[in-house]
Amino acid sequence: MSLSLSDSPVPNTGGGLVPPPVLAGASPWRTLRATLAQLYRQPASALGTTIFILFVAIALVGPWLAPYSENQQIAADARQAPSAKHWFGVDRLGRDVYSRVLLGARDILGLAGLGTLLAVLAGTTVGLLSGYRGGWFDEIVMRSFDSLLAMPALLLALLLLGTVGPSRETILIVIVVVYTPIVARVVRSVVLGVKQKGFVEAARLQGEGQARILFREILPSVLPALAVEAALRFSYAIFLVASLGFLGVGVQPPSPDWGLMVNEARGYVAQTPWAMYYPAAAISIIVVGVNLMADGLKRVLQVPAP
Amino acid sequence: MKKLFRLHNKRLSAFGSILLVASFVMVACSTATATPAPVPTSAPTVVQPTSAPTTAPAATTAPTAAPTTAPTVAATTAATAAATAAATAAATQGTTGSMSGELRVAMQAPVQTDPALISSDTEVMIANAVYDYLVDVDAKSQIQPRLATKWDISANGLVYTFTLASGVTFQDGSAFSSADVVWTFNRLRDATQKYPTADLYKNVANVAAAGDGQVVFTLTKPNPFFLFDLSDNHALILKANTADPKQFNGTGPFKVTNYSPEDRIELAANAKYFIAGEPKLAKLTIIFFKDENASVDALRGGQVDLVPRLSAGSFAALKTESGVTTVNVPTNGFSLVRLRADHKPGSDPRVMQAMRLATDRVAILNLVQQNLGATGRDSPIGPLYPTYYSEDTPLPTRDITQAKKLLSDAGYASGLKLDLYTPDTIGQPDLAAALKSEWADAGITLNIIVEPESVYYGKNGWLDVDLGITGWGSRPYPQFYLDTMLKTGAVWNEAHWSDPEFDKLATEAGTTQDEATRVADYKQIEKIMIERGPVIIPYFFPQLAAIKTSFQGFELKAFAGRTDFRTVSAGQ
Repeated sequence: MSLSLSDSPVPNTGGGLVPPPVLAGASPWRTLRATLAQLYRQPASALGTTIFILFVAIALVGPWLAPYSENQQIAADARQAPSAKHWFGVDRLGRDVYSRVLLGARDILGLAGLGTLLAVLAGTTVGLLSGYRGGWFDEIVMRSFDSLLAMPALLLALLLLGTVGPSRETILIVIVVVYTPIVARVVRSVVLGVKQKGFVEAARLQGEGQARILFREILPSVLPALAVEAALRFSYAIFLVASLGFLGVGVQPPSPDWGLMVNEARGYVAQTPWAMYYPAAAISIIVVGVNLMADGLKRVLQVPAP
Repeated sequence: MKKLFRLHNKRLSAFGSILLVASFVMVACSTATATPAPVPTSAPTVVQPTSAPTTAPAATTAPTAAPTTAPTVAATTAATAAATAAATAAATQGTTGSMSGELRVAMQAPVQTDPALISSDTEVMIANAVYDYLVDVDAKSQIQPRLATKWDISANGLVYTFTLASGVTFQDGSAFSSADVVWTFNRLRDATQKYPTADLYKNVANVAAAGDGQVVFTLTKPNPFFLFDLSDNHALILKANTADPKQFNGTGPFKVTNYSPEDRIELAANAKYFIAGEPKLAKLTIIFFKDENASVDALRGGQVDLVPRLSAGSFAALKTESGVTTVNVPTNGFSLVRLRADHKPGSDPRVMQAMRLATDRVAILNLVQQNLGATGRDSPIGPLYPTYYSEDTPLPTRDITQAKKLLSDAGYASGLKLDLYTPDTIGQPDLAAALKSEWADAGITLNIIVEPESVYYGKNGWLDVDLGITGWGSRPYPQFYLDTMLKTGAVWNEAHWSDPEFDKLATEAGTTQDEATRVADYKQIEKIMIERGPVIIPYFFPQLAAIKTSFQGFELKAFAGRTDFRTVSAGQ
C-alpha cells in the first residue's frame, strides 16, 4: 500500500480531516480492492464483509439456487421438519422455507439498499448545503430534521405507513424519510469542520461556484465518514424493513419477506419452529454482519471521532 | 456526541443480537420440554353429555333426546312440554355446599360489561356466568329452559307464553319476577337506544307480564326461529330499572368478587343459585391474555386450566401433551371469499364460476385448517344443520382448463388482475395466500392486502371492496346468514348480490311454519349457491380448546363465549 499523500486533490492542512490513504487519488476499483484487503486484516471485519458479500450474492443468484418457487404449495409435505429434500423444512402452507429465505434476500436487501442509497444522496446534498451555507437555511433545515429525529424511527415509519398504506414504494419513502436527517447531520458536522480550511477559502477566493466547491472541494473529505454512515444505515434499514414486515405493516403476504415470515410463523412456533428460526437467523446474521463491516470501514477509512 | 451515538448504536445492535439468540434458545427449550412422551389424551370424557339438571328435562322428551338430532324447529317446540320436570330433577340432583375447586380460564380482556353491548367471547363468557338467559341453546343447538321453565306457542305462531322459574333471586338479594323480563326486553328492543338487538327484536309487537309468573311475547309476523332470537348473546335478564347495567347484578350461577380491568376477573359460586347442585365449581377466574402463545404457555406452565380458543397450530401442538385434553367441536363458522356482483368483473357470473373451478377445497382444508373442520359447498347452510344440509347438487371438481375457458368467454382471455382484501384474523391471510397460488393456475393474479381486523370491519371497508375474505361466526340456525348476507339489500350483503329466485325462497323459508317446505327451500338455495352464488365457502372451521385433564363436564360451544361453566367440575 504505497499511496502518496501528495496525490490528494485536497491539500493536507495538517490535523483534522485527511482523506484516508486508501481513498486518496486511486481509481474506484483500486480503492475498493485496497479497502477490502484492509477489511480482511481483522477477523471481525473479515467476517462481517464475508457475510455481506455472501448475502448480496444470494440476493443476486437466489432465484437460480432455490429449488422451489416462493409460493409453491406442496400440500403433501406441509409442516415437515428440515430434511434432505427441504433443508430448512416446510411451513404450514406447504412452502419450502429454504427457497423462501433465499428468494426473500433480494426483496429485503433491495429495499434496504435502494432506500439507503436514496437517503444517502438526499442526506449528503442537504448536509453539504446546510453545513456550507449556514444561516437561516441551516437553521430551518436542521431544526425540522431535529423534530423528525426526536421521534423513534419505527414510530415514524408506522405513522407514515398508517396514513399512506403499505406498499413497496411507501416502505422506500419511509426509509428515506427516516434516514435522510441522520445522514444529513453527519455530513453537516464534517462540513462545518472542513469549510474553515484554507483550501476551501482559496477555492472561494478563486471565484469557484458553490456547486463546484461543495462537490469537488468538500465532498471528498466527507466521503470516509459517509461510507461508514451508509453501511450503518444499511444495516438499520434491513432491520427496519424486517421490523415493519414483522408488525404486518410492511411488505404484504405472501411475499417471502423475512420479517413477515417470522410474524406468520409465530402463531405456529410449537408446530413448525423452523419456519420462524431460519428467516429470523437470516435477519440477525445480515444485520450483525453489516455492522461488523461498518466498524471495519471506520477503522480502515480512519474516520476520526469528532 | 456523535461518538456517543455510534457507541450507543453498536451496543444496541450487539444487545439486540444477543437478545435474539437468547430468545431462540428459550423458545427451542420450551418446545423441547413441552412435548414429552405423546400420551394419548382422552377426548371423549370431555365431550360426553353432562348429567346436569337442565339437560335432564330435555332428555325426558323423546325428539330432543338423541344427541345427533338437528336443531329443527319441530324439536324446539317439543321442548315446550319439557320443563315442568326441571324443579323435581333439580331437587333430586341437588346437594348444596358441594361446590369445590377453581377453574382458571385464559381469554382476551373484555371491554364492554353491559350485557346489551357485549360482543367478544370474553364479554359474553363473563355475562353468561353472572346472568341468565330466558332460554338457552345447548352445545347441540337445542333450545333449553333456563329462567323460563316452559313455554307455549299459539297456533298462528304469534304469541309466546313463558312460565318463569320460582325462587330465583338476584345477587343483590331482590327477588326475580316477570317485570324484570319485560324491562330487559323493552330495553333491548328500544329503537331510540340503538342497541345491536333493536333490529333483531323489531318483529316483537309487545312484551307483557301475565299472572302467575308468566311473560307473553306477541309478534307481528311468525318467526319460526324466535326462541333462538330470545337466546341472543345480549338477551341476559337484568333487574328491572337497573341504573348501571355494568354492576354485575344477575341471577346467574356465579357472582363477581373482583374485577381488575386488563388483568383478571374473579367470580365465586352463587350459593343461592336457583338450580340446585349448580354450579359445581367454587371459583371461576378469567385471566386476560393479549396473545395466544402466552395463554398456551400459561396452560403448559399451570397458571391457567383452560384455553377456550385455539388456533389450528397450537391445537396440533397441544394434542400430544400429557395432562391436557384437546377439544374439537364442529361449528357453522366459516371463511368466505366473495366477489362483488354489482359491477365488473363479478357482474359476469362466469368469473365467479371460474374462481370456483380454480379452487381446491381439499388442499385448502389441509394447508389452512390442518384438516380440522369440514370442506364447504359455497352455501352457509353447513353440515352442522343435518336437517337442512344437503349434498344433492354436485360440487364441480377443480378444472383449470374449464376455468380458463370461462374467463376467456367473459372477456378475460389474457388473465385477470385483482386486489384481494383480507382481515388479519388468524388463518385468513393464509387462505388468501393459498388462493393466490391456486388461482394463478387459471390466470387470475391476486395482490393480497391484509388489514387489521378492527380496521377492516370497523370502517365498513369490508362491504365496499371488490374481492374480499370475510369470517362469519357460527349461529344456531342458518336463516340468519340468508337474511343478513345474501338477500337483496341485506345489511351485510357484502357481494351486493341480488337474485329474485333466492329472495323468494329465503323469505318463504324464514316465515313458514311448515318444516318440510323449509327443508325443500334450503335444498334449492344450496343448488343456487353452487350454480350462481356470489361466494366461495372453502371450509367450516371448528372451535378448538384445551383443558387440564382433571376437569370434568366441560362442553365447548361453537361460540366459545357461550360455553356453560355451571356443569364443569374440578374433579380429583
